[in-house]
Amino acid sequence: MLISLELLKNFIDIEISPDELAERLTFSGSEVEGINYTAGKLSGVVAARIDSLEVHPSESKYYIAHLNTGTGEHICVTSAKNMKQGDYVLYAGSGSVLPDGTVMGVRDFAGVQSYGMMLSAEELGLHDVDDPSGLLILPDSARPGDDANKLFHINDIILDVSITPNRGDLLSHLGMAREIKGLFPSKSVLRSPEWLRPLKQENDWSEDFGSISLPDKGCFAYRLGLATGAKIHDSPLTAKVDLAHLGMRPINNAVDVTNYVMLMLGQPLHAFDLNTLPEREITVRAAHDNEKMITLDEKERSLINTDMLITSGGEAIALAGVMGGLQTGINNDTSTIVIESASFSPVRVGQTSRRLGINSEAAFRFSRTVDPSLSKIALTAASALMRDWCGADVDYKPLSSENAASEPKTVKLTRKKLMTYLSFDNMNEAERILEGFGIKHTGEDKFLPPSWRPDITIEEDLIEEIGRFRGYNETENKLPGEMPKRADIGASMMLSSSVRNMLISRGYTEVMTYSFLPVDFPEKIRLPESDIRSRVMTLANPISRDQMAMRTTLLPGLLMALRNALTSGWREGIKIFEQGRVFVNDSEPEHIAGLIFNGVDTRNIYNDRSEDFYDIKSDIEALIMSRGYQAVFKAGSEPFTHSGQSAEIYVDGVNIGFAARLKPALEQELDVDKVYVFEIDLTSLTNPRKPVFKPASQFPAVNRDIAILVSLDKNNSDVMKDIYSSVKEAADLELNLESIRLFDIYEGANIPEGFRSLAYSLSYRSSSKTLTDSEVDAVHNQVRENLKSKGYIIR
Amino acid sequence: MPLEINQVRASFFEALNNIKSLQELDELRVKFTGKKGDLTLLLRSLGKLPPDERRQAGQDVNNLRDEIENAIASMSKKIRDSENEKQEIQERIDITLPGRGRLSGAFHPVIQTMHEIANIMQGLGYSVASGPEIEEEFYNFECLNVPKWHPARDMQDTFYFPDGKLLRTHTSPVQIRSMLKYGAPLRIICPGKVYRRDNDTTHSPMFNQMEGLLIDKDVPFSQMKGTMSEMLNAFFGKSLKSRFRASYFPFTEPSMELDIECVECSGHDEHCRVCHGTGWLEVVGMGMVHPNVIRAGKIDPDEYNGFAFGIGLDRMAMLKYGISDLRLLFDGNVSYLNSCFNSGLEEVSC
Repeated sequence: MLISLELLKNFIDIEISPDELAERLTFSGSEVEGINYTAGKLSGVVAARIDSLEVHPSESKYYIAHLNTGTGEHICVTSAKNMKQGDYVLYAGSGSVLPDGTVMGVRDFAGVQSYGMMLSAEELGLHDVDDPSGLLILPDSARPGDDANKLFHINDIILDVSITPNRGDLLSHLGMAREIKGLFPSKSVLRSPEWLRPLKQENDWSEDFGSISLPDKGCFAYRLGLATGAKIHDSPLTAKVDLAHLGMRPINNAVDVTNYVMLMLGQPLHAFDLNTLPEREITVRAAHDNEKMITLDEKERSLINTDMLITSGGEAIALAGVMGGLQTGINNDTSTIVIESASFSPVRVGQTSRRLGINSEAAFRFSRTVDPSLSKIALTAASALMRDWCGADVDYKPLSSENAASEPKTVKLTRKKLMTYLSFDNMNEAERILEGFGIKHTGEDKFLPPSWRPDITIEEDLIEEIGRFRGYNETENKLPGEMPKRADIGASMMLSSSVRNMLISRGYTEVMTYSFLPVDFPEKIRLPESDIRSRVMTLANPISRDQMAMRTTLLPGLLMALRNALTSGWREGIKIFEQGRVFVNDSEPEHIAGLIFNGVDTRNIYNDRSEDFYDIKSDIEALIMSRGYQAVFKAGSEPFTHSGQSAEIYVDGVNIGFAARLKPALEQELDVDKVYVFEIDLTSLTNPRKPVFKPASQFPAVNRDIAILVSLDKNNSDVMKDIYSSVKEAADLELNLESIRLFDIYEGANIPEGFRSLAYSLSYRSSSKTLTDSEVDAVHNQVRENLKSKGYIIR
Repeated sequence: MPLEINQVRASFFEALNNIKSLQELDELRVKFTGKKGDLTLLLRSLGKLPPDERRQAGQDVNNLRDEIENAIASMSKKIRDSENEKQEIQERIDITLPGRGRLSGAFHPVIQTMHEIANIMQGLGYSVASGPEIEEEFYNFECLNVPKWHPARDMQDTFYFPDGKLLRTHTSPVQIRSMLKYGAPLRIICPGKVYRRDNDTTHSPMFNQMEGLLIDKDVPFSQMKGTMSEMLNAFFGKSLKSRFRASYFPFTEPSMELDIECVECSGHDEHCRVCHGTGWLEVVGMGMVHPNVIRAGKIDPDEYNGFAFGIGLDRMAMLKYGISDLRLLFDGNVSYLNSCFNSGLEEVSC
């Protein structure tokens, strides 16, 4: 809300500097986001009369004006065409300064010296006030030599105040004046402008008018005033300047009156041309479902039965409290104006404006509650201004109809609660503070808020009024006393701490990417439609299609991160991980995913330090082991992975994710080579499994090596399983195969085509005795035999 | 006999002086102390001596054996030391070459901040609670005293799903969920992602908050003030000036916002890029919990009251770690994250 200090003078006299005012407002809940000195550096600019005007002798597009500033004559050249002899203009003579700091000098126009210039509205920073290509022509009230800084509110101070949604009353200069009175009780005096004085409006309407009926109780009051013989033209210059400073485009005098009164009092008004009303009656009723109307912005609106309509002769002429209709507006030929001042239910207007997305000035105010007592006063004010600005006859009795509106109710304030909340219990001072805000003590612990403060309904609201007046900064700092129970950081935070510490120390950088992805992300990573991760929740109102689909996997985010890094010129290796939620099947499981890319330039002084599948595998094994579980890798077939380098990860028999090289086709799309990725559902790892202590055997282990020729279609895991079972078949219970370690893989010379040699070191141990070589040899030889019988060739 | 002993001694030490390697030394040892060595032969010849001389001679030979063995041991050590020394010189490397493999990764500033503040709050007795990011309108708005028509909804432009659910616009729904789950008294925090339909240089459609809620009997504002002050001072590691401004949130009454002194300029730079010359930074919104909200949590507001706060984690992280652009936090760009937080790299290159 823009507040003009010049216009505040309509309602309050203050002895407070703009900065002090801004600070006090900010601390009491209405943050002042800016102070605009509208005239900027303007100085030395004065009103001047054009005594004579002639066309430039050699350049006919220029005019030479002889200006009278009361103290001298000045020659000034202009290319503007809208002035004539005898007009008053603003003259920025040589040495004067414009609002933006430009200092005027003498300029040569084809041989004629121009001393400064005559100003347009734009050059004063006033948009939409006047023709931007012409000079600003002043009304006759100007006198040559008058300082522009003292004319037509050109020099004003505008506060940009952020009004919280509970304070609809502050969306006006009147409301702001009351607030300032409450905040500065001893430095301000409330007053009332002349156009708010009661009018003698005694005549019956010159035009027949039927009834106003309000079948919809969401209309609390509906009043109409009549203005006849109005002349539609521009508003007075001061009013136009005021409106422009407050961010509102001047339209014409009749519409400007309604806007001006709204900005001053907070009551939205509407002006109809009486002759465009379908019939001489008004009914405010609920819309029918699917009823259509075209609003002022030329859009057809489809309505529902909680919307309220202003109708005439059954036709909708306005969407109540939200926006007028197209046909009944004021035009240049209008002479008989009906001024509407009404009071509507904030809930109803709020529902309609939110549903239709119309945030008009009227809807903004009505949905934040407009003081119901304002509709009468505002109609008087608008009538007075129609008389002054449009030359209209307004001496007609207003017509009105009312439904019951909710009345303010008393609110209790107890010393105990005040003390509890604010550590303050001076009830006399509390009462004075509340009185300042218009909240009356009505006896005992009862207080009655004024009609413009419907936000005050409970004791805490009163406490807030006292708190914000006194400020919160002087209150002592204390800490809450005894803890109700031990604080628990929680399993998910502990999980997060543990996995991020582990991965960061293993060289991964932690990233966070958006939870929403481009809508086609499942196709991009080759997920078939049948995959559960292709069933994506999509936003109904996304900002863009690139941020529309809730992620079902963390992989696309990591791939985007990779792309972003490469685009920004990164050439080194990338090792990143993200922990976060994915959105699958109405649940939000916590996932972790990682990516390894060896860099654009992989040259390295250490031979072959490139990381591959087995590096990412060990990271995952370590991660899972740190939670007390063991990872089992099985050949996998995720559609976005390299079919020959893809694994599924199992914990306790459950598939919890994948580790793989990215599919080469996807690598090519990213223009990179060899990207390794993993993703794990952390749900089953959230609670760490407690490690169980196993005492070390006191007897030594005996190691034997075995080298086996294995056909290439058999993998290490299969061979190891066969070795285990061979040992089991060969040994008694006393002898355990404690570990098998693969220590060599060999293909090539001496190995038949289609085979490779795998060499394992087997570690035997007994839990009850020291094994002799011969005992172990016997078992080991049997193991060799068993393996042969399983089809292996022992080397 | 003593003469022969002296000859053996003399020939041993003469030979020892010419020893150059462990192998030669070993040969020398065999030559003198081996089964067919000079000393063994000498010992065997003792039998020929008369009994009264035999005893003394035996002792002399044993003394010589000790002498020789000690000399060999000491020579052995000398040779080893010298060989090791040579080897070490041969094995010398350029220790200024880069370490093999990767450096440590880097933490994400916002998640780091989340953990730091959670740890501080745990010390003040707050447990961590959580709630869904795809939330019901009921928990996100209605329960928090924001009915559908309420203009306060304009403060939080919301992402909706076709089924009417929404992306939570704040972590506040967890207030209700926690009150329903745990009852009173209660102290919880809830860190997490939140979403609003906003995208410009200072707003990201996804950002991070930490909700806090304390419910107890007769809770005064001063306790919220003290709690905030402890949290901020612990997080920034220094005592910062702060100020409370009255504000409005539908779910608290009274409501305030907390500004801290600019961590960059402390209010001394009118062109400060962080505070834009105001000297203050808005970091937390808070207030005393509205009775309607306590009631929605199935707790009696006549018996219990409390306070709630929402900390902007991204803002806090940006302030603590000197990050200027919010949106950089979420593009996963390792070049940015690493260059900011692996300061070690810079030191090496200097």
